Amino acid sequence: MASTPMPPPPDPRNVQGMILRGYTHPYSCHLLFTFANRPGAAAFMRALLPYVQSAQDWGNAKPARMLNVGLTYAGILTINPALINFPSEFKAGPSSQGSQQSLMDSGPSAPSLWWNGDKPDIHCIVHIYGLTADALSGLVAIVSQAALANGVIEFIPLKSGSGRLEQYAPLGDDIHFGYHDGIDNPALDWPETQEATVPSDANNFLIGYPGSVFNPGPGSGAEGVFAKDGCYNAFRVLYQDVGAFDRFLAQYAPMVVAAIGGSLDDASEWLAAKLVGRWRNGSPLILSPNAPDPKTSDATDFGYSADTAGLKCPFSAHTRVANPRDQPTFPADTPPPRLIRRGMPYGAPPVPPDYSGERGLIGLFLCGALAGEFELLYSWINVNNFSSVFLPDLNTQDALIANRISPSQGDPSFTLELPNGKAIRIPSMPQFVVTRGTAYCLLPSMATLQGIAGAAA
Amino acid sequence: MANPLTLYIPIKQDPETQLKAKLGYDNFVSSVQAGLDTSNIVHYARLALIPNLDGDAILAICLITTFDGPMNPYLKYFWNNGALQQVFTGLADIALNPPSPPVTDLTGFENFINDNNLNNPDDLYNAYDQTVLQIRAKFPPSA
Repeated sequence: MASTPMPPPPDPRNVQGMILRGYTHPYSCHLLFTFANRPGAAAFMRALLPYVQSAQDWGNAKPARMLNVGLTYAGILTINPALINFPSEFKAGPSSQGSQQSLMDSGPSAPSLWWNGDKPDIHCIVHIYGLTADALSGLVAIVSQAALANGVIEFIPLKSGSGRLEQYAPLGDDIHFGYHDGIDNPALDWPETQEATVPSDANNFLIGYPGSVFNPGPGSGAEGVFAKDGCYNAFRVLYQDVGAFDRFLAQYAPMVVAAIGGSLDDASEWLAAKLVGRWRNGSPLILSPNAPDPKTSDATDFGYSADTAGLKCPFSAHTRVANPRDQPTFPADTPPPRLIRRGMPYGAPPVPPDYSGERGLIGLFLCGALAGEFELLYSWINVNNFSSVFLPDLNTQDALIANRISPSQGDPSFTLELPNGKAIRIPSMPQFVVTRGTAYCLLPSMATLQGIAGAAA
Repeated sequence: MANPLTLYIPIKQDPETQLKAKLGYDNFVSSVQAGLDTSNIVHYARLALIPNLDGDAILAICLITTFDGPMNPYLKYFWNNGALQQVFTGLADIALNPPSPPVTDLTGFENFINDNNLNNPDDLYNAYDQTVLQIRAKFPPSA
């Protein structure tokens, strides 16, 4: 096969930092804004520019505070109404019929209920990070003041606390369901040839480079110039119903004990691991099928192809659906896409038995193609139909985060195969996660942000 | 759940375009057979030539299909399949109002499809809920 060389990789100084590197700042806040007009947007961006973090290596000088900026299609049109040739799903937005064919947000997750039923015209999301609470609040104040001075209106998305989407720092890298998160992200390597590209390579995420079957775009015209070295962010606020989750484990733990023995506590942890495909400490079931193991808690080098019956890891376990690794997939679903996940928890944990209060995940799902990568994976989550391992006459769903849509579309049952040939079948999985809102943003290059601000690139 | 695509494209009226439309129509099934077979999501696809009022020329081309699941994530499969890409770019080339800029990448292809798709989410009748995969599993092709 002929091999076509790749162009040089992008200059990290031109790429927003969160795309190519995972931040470890424990404090973050994510502000949603609407521009009043182009001059106001430009002036706002000018005020933000000194704090925008690129992907350049910061060495030992880790910034105490920094931010990244995303723009929705409506925000881009406010800045330049001529930029109309973006991918259709980005233009139509996540509440559109086309996107909802994949996201399937229904019932309490329905788009009509997003953002507390308000209909904000979100133009811009500013992601602010701090090493300390003071560093974060100082930069939040600067951004808020810049917005106020330029007619940029902040939308307050939550009804609790400050109303803002603030990271709950004490949880660290854990999520409210108790799992260690953020273990496996794409390597973001740069392939030697276009033909050698694999889904974890950076040219599947950054717009403007060849070799990706996902075709990140736009790749031409003024839109291509604007989007070059950018990346899309499917920004999703996901309420996590810890009460429903805990009640589910308590309800079915006795069934597990009856099937495999052990204590109720062990059964509860076993069940929690089966939902996700990893124990709560992160150990993958494929490598540590019987108990969590500190030695495998960050493991990423494993596959599913040898687990042909789902005895170690159920086919519908969350991590096996969202990243099927070496599991065979159907031609139209091949290769399985990857997402860069930069999420963090919000809201304080519950104090059982009181589960009231707002909490969940601020989800930042980065990709080069919203439809071909993010929406495709979400459609698999809602209906497991991408691989021959699933029985074709069932439409099973991701055990943890699927939207429990109508049974004719998605089968809410969950089956745990056992080594003795028997199985535990849970007829109807609860809705553990509720979508509070979604926005599709472009994380533009540093040069594009400078251009918006009217500064020299 | 199946979803529809109803692509309605008025075409140019010059003889060369009319001939291309007729040739495309004559070769449609053989052009798309392998790609759609492999996709495992398309129930059927047909191309119809819409005559003008006098019935002496082709006014428009209509591509009608139903498929399982969402459309937009799978457009990359159709774009990345050489034969299917050729069919769709051929339609764009003979359109009376061709896409601007011309369709040269997946972004342009997505926009072309969505801009010319006439369907409404509520206008599809289904006699059954089964997917192509489910039907093929029950009724495998005879050897």
